[in-house]
Parts: sequence; structure tokens; C-alpha cells
Amino acid sequence: MRRKTSFFFIFILLLSPFFGTAAFAQVQVRVRVMEASNVGSGFDSSLKDLHDQLGSLFSFSSYRLLKDENVSLSPNRPVSLSIPPERSLELTLVDQHRVTAEIRVKITRQGRELLTTLVRLAPGRSVSIGGPSPKHSEGTIITALSRP
Amino acid sequence: MWKGGVRMKSECSSVSKLLDRYFDQEVTPEEKSLVEGHLPDCSACRMALDTMRNLRILIRNPVEKAVEKETFPWVWEKIEKGIQQKERPDLWDFLISWLDFTPFLKRKILIPAVAAVVILILITTPFLYKKMSSYPELSVVEYVESDTYNVMVYEPETPQVTVIWLFEGPEEEPSTS
Repeated sequence: MRRKTSFFFIFILLLSPFFGTAAFAQVQVRVRVMEASNVGSGFDSSLKDLHDQLGSLFSFSSYRLLKDENVSLSPNRPVSLSIPPERSLELTLVDQHRVTAEIRVKITRQGRELLTTLVRLAPGRSVSIGGPSPKHSEGTIITALSRP
Repeated sequence: MWKGGVRMKSECSSVSKLLDRYFDQEVTPEEKSLVEGHLPDCSACRMALDTMRNLRILIRNPVEKAVEKETFPWVWEKIEKGIQQKERPDLWDFLISWLDFTPFLKRKILIPAVAAVVILILITTPFLYKKMSSYPELSVVEYVESDTYNVMVYEPETPQVTVIWLFEGPEEEPSTS
């Protein structure tokens, strides 16, 4: 009995590095699309954390939430979602290291690639992609990616 | 007869005073031989002695039964207090007892344990080195590409936000956005 227990313990010990990898197999990313403008003031309550962060960088007075979605990313499996204005956001989990996820972000419009970037997202950190300010519009679209 | 009767009465009187102590085995050897010499001839003293014996049995049996049933919790409390009050083991001895590796030095355990550690190191080391060398944790944006826009990346240490800002570039997107 003791021998069996010892072998089981050693087996578990040997597999422990793979358990760590398995734990990071899926990554949750929160995608929030907002319209930042200087028309009016205020912000949606679900943007409070971002408002605190972006408020120190930009001088927009108003942040209006247009889309809020949580996506679950698996390694090398792209996930697409449509974001305003008429664009498509594609997220691919490329790699993981401890708590940091390496994510490829692709923004396209009607199949045309507008932006491709590779970002490393750790929990509590966010990446915001914004601009350009449309000529005939008051606001600017900002897409924020964050890890819950 | 009368004289003998007087002698007998006087002896009985002195022996009866000894009976209690004789019964409790507290008499001297001389007193003991006196009582034992007197008892065969005196039915009154024998009766007195039997009464004492019966009385003892009558008292002892219930007491013994009660003692058998009694757990004496106060006695255990006293013992436990005594154990607790004993000097506590030295911290160093306590640590040594925990860090005693002698059971692990037995061949049966040592060989599989060393093998397991070696295999574990061999498995994990490449992963650790690969990951650590390719991840400078400070940079959030690895690269940015855009044929349509000019791009600015702002990566402050604090707050915990990185901004990728797009500017109108040479190839402007149709103004539907």
C-alpha cells in the first residue's frame, strides 16, 4: 500500500508541470468598445476602471459603452467579433507564460486588414486601441482589451 | 469455676478491647497470640469478630463496585495538567525532528526519489528557459503593423494601460466610420 502511494506521488510530481500548462489552456479576455467624446460628460459604470486609467491619458469628457463582451481564447484558435463601426476584431491566443497571455489582435474592415498587433496581457492590465477620430463625428472609438 | 469464670470474664474484657486492632491487623505478636488463644474458648468474641467481618464485607462490596464504575475525571485532569506543565520541548529539537531525513536515506526510497527529481528537472528546465528568455515582461506590445494608419504606441509604467493610437495615414480608410 505504501509502495503504491509512493509511486502515485512520484507520478503526480512528474505530471505537475503539465498541470500548470493545462491551467492556462484557456484565457478569458474582456472586450469593451466605447465611444469617447467631448460631448457631454460622464461614463458608464462598467467603464469605471478604464475611465480611471484613460482619464489620465486623454482629455475626453464622456465615455459611452457600445459593446462589452467576454471571450474565451484557446491556443491558436482565432475568435472573431464585430465591433463598431462595421469592423471585425480577431483575437488569437498565441502563447502563454505564467499569467501573461500573448494575443494577436487583428482589426479588419470588409476583409481589409487595418491593424495587426501582438500584445501581452496580464491580469489587471489592459490594452486600448483607439482612433482615428472620424472627420464628421464627435467621438472616437476605443477598443479596450483586458484580462479579468 | 467461679474463679475460672472471673478469669475468663477479665480476659474476655481485655481481649475484646484488642479485637478491633486484631481485626485490622494492627496488634503486636504477643497481643495476636493472646487473642488467638482466647477466641476458641469465647463464643462472644468470635461473634464480635464475625460481626466485624460481615460488616466489612457489607461496606466493601458496594464501595468497590462504585470505584470500578467511577472514571475519576478529576484524576485525569490532574494528570493532563501535570503533562502540560512539563517542560516544553526545545524549538531546535522540534525542528530537528521535522528535518530528520534519515528515513529518506533508505535505499528503497532514495533511488526513486532521486530519479523523480532528476526527471522533473529535465522536463521543466527547457520550458522555464524557453519562456523566460523570450519574455521581457515590461513590454506589452510586441509589434504593430498597419498599412492604413500611422500608429503610436504609448506604454506607461502606470497606470496599467497601454494605448495603441491610430492616426490618419497615407491610405485613408473610406469615411464611413
